[in-house]
Amino acid sequence: MTIDIDARGLACPEPVIRCKQLVDGSQPARLSIQVDNEAAVENLSRFLKLQGYAVASQGADNDFIVSGSREGDAPVAQPVAAPKRTTTDDGPQKILVFIPTDRMGFGDDELGKKLMISFIKTLKEMGDELWQIVFVNNGVKLTIDGSPVLEELKAYAADGLSILVCGTCLSHFDLLEAKQVGETTNMLDIVTAMQLADKVIQPG
Amino acid sequence: MGVGTADDAGVYRVSDQLALIQTVDFFTPIVDDPFDFGRIAAANALSDVYAMGGEPRTAMNLVAFPLGTLDHDVLNQVLAGGIQMLEEAETVLLGGHSIDDPELKYGLSVTGFVHPDRILTNQGLNPGDQLVLTKPVGTGVVNTAVKAGLASEETTALATDLMATLNRGAARAMAKFDISACTDVTGFGLLGHLAEMVAGSNVGASVTALSVPLVADAFDFAAMGLVPGGAFQNRKFRKNMVDLDAELDPILRDLLFDPQTSGGLLMGCPKDQVADLLAALAEEKTAAATVIGEVDARRPGRIQVI
Repeated sequence: MTIDIDARGLACPEPVIRCKQLVDGSQPARLSIQVDNEAAVENLSRFLKLQGYAVASQGADNDFIVSGSREGDAPVAQPVAAPKRTTTDDGPQKILVFIPTDRMGFGDDELGKKLMISFIKTLKEMGDELWQIVFVNNGVKLTIDGSPVLEELKAYAADGLSILVCGTCLSHFDLLEAKQVGETTNMLDIVTAMQLADKVIQPG
Repeated sequence: MGVGTADDAGVYRVSDQLALIQTVDFFTPIVDDPFDFGRIAAANALSDVYAMGGEPRTAMNLVAFPLGTLDHDVLNQVLAGGIQMLEEAETVLLGGHSIDDPELKYGLSVTGFVHPDRILTNQGLNPGDQLVLTKPVGTGVVNTAVKAGLASEETTALATDLMATLNRGAARAMAKFDISACTDVTGFGLLGHLAEMVAGSNVGASVTALSVPLVADAFDFAAMGLVPGGAFQNRKFRKNMVDLDAELDPILRDLLFDPQTSGGLLMGCPKDQVADLLAALAEEKTAAATVIGEVDARRPGRIQVI
């Protein structure tokens, strides 16, 4: 299961606030939040129900996952996260694009940056199969203010594509505030997403 | 008063005519404005004396302040807020103590007078007593919404003033009647404090959930999932003492366990005096003056919420 928000270690009302930001922002059809206490489970369940989600929770002690799903006005063509690890024949395969740098290839950095812009703009040609884009290291700079592909990424996000941005990397470059698109995430999410994906592509 | 029944203050009998009530309370900021924080901390500290039927007379400040990081003016405002409440309570500030600490904390030690025959504790409820509450509940939920940036300025100001309201008027009204037991509603929430009043006694209580007055917007915020963790802990802690009606709205249930800061007084009043008590509370303009339930002997040590 892909965890959209890891809210473990956060005190009330922080888990609900994070969830609200996600719901207000990308309006995912499905989402999962990991928390470490029952109070957060009840609060999140209540919040998601009010937002029209069907809610399920699982777990015990200090490790719970609250999942919500809804249909209707939420984008249904591109579920943000695949809730189950299935390999059914129907449905598009899931391609995860892993972007660890803001330029493509070696040799000329100027050229590399242009190529990366072009690569991201062209990604939409993957259609339904494009499932997630994950930005790490220097790649996170493509998600901030002034990024040459910010508009494209925002359009992808609006279409329901899941965009994950490495929180450790943002914080390393002191860019947590500057990020303009995607969900800040951690290595566990990234590893889980890679495991769930049918194919991982890394330009670089 | 013994440690068994969890009163917040200690009592020392000086003579047949006079007993001292001593209490101390301090906490970290629960509102952004330092002056308001000072007011609330003082109202909260004074409340323990009122809940025991006493009149606060003297107080000492307790201050922990991050000297290097926070502007000194913040401290002045906190103390000014405290002094405003002490003046309102006609209580003399004798002094205090401050230390340098990474986190701001403020509160007071308060000493009050009471006639030894008029001491009220949280024990002594009689079957048939009406349970009267003098402030609405829900400040914990509203404070959580404030933290989340979702409360309007108006609601924030209302909740702040409510927390900074002294229980003085309520205590003054209460003194005219044969109140059997009293407590102030704070961190354990309404049902948590009522549970302390009936635990181990030979009486139980029933509470009519819909009659409990709520702070503005508290219900909507609770419905949004802005219930503080303390409310869940309070509910869990008293789970075995409280019978909740199956029809009871879980949102309302959580509000009944919502931890309060400087909440109102909860008291038991003989049935034939309750109308006059409510009138006296209204005259004192308490934030609420509501019968929320009654005491009975059918289920000793238990609370039924309908």
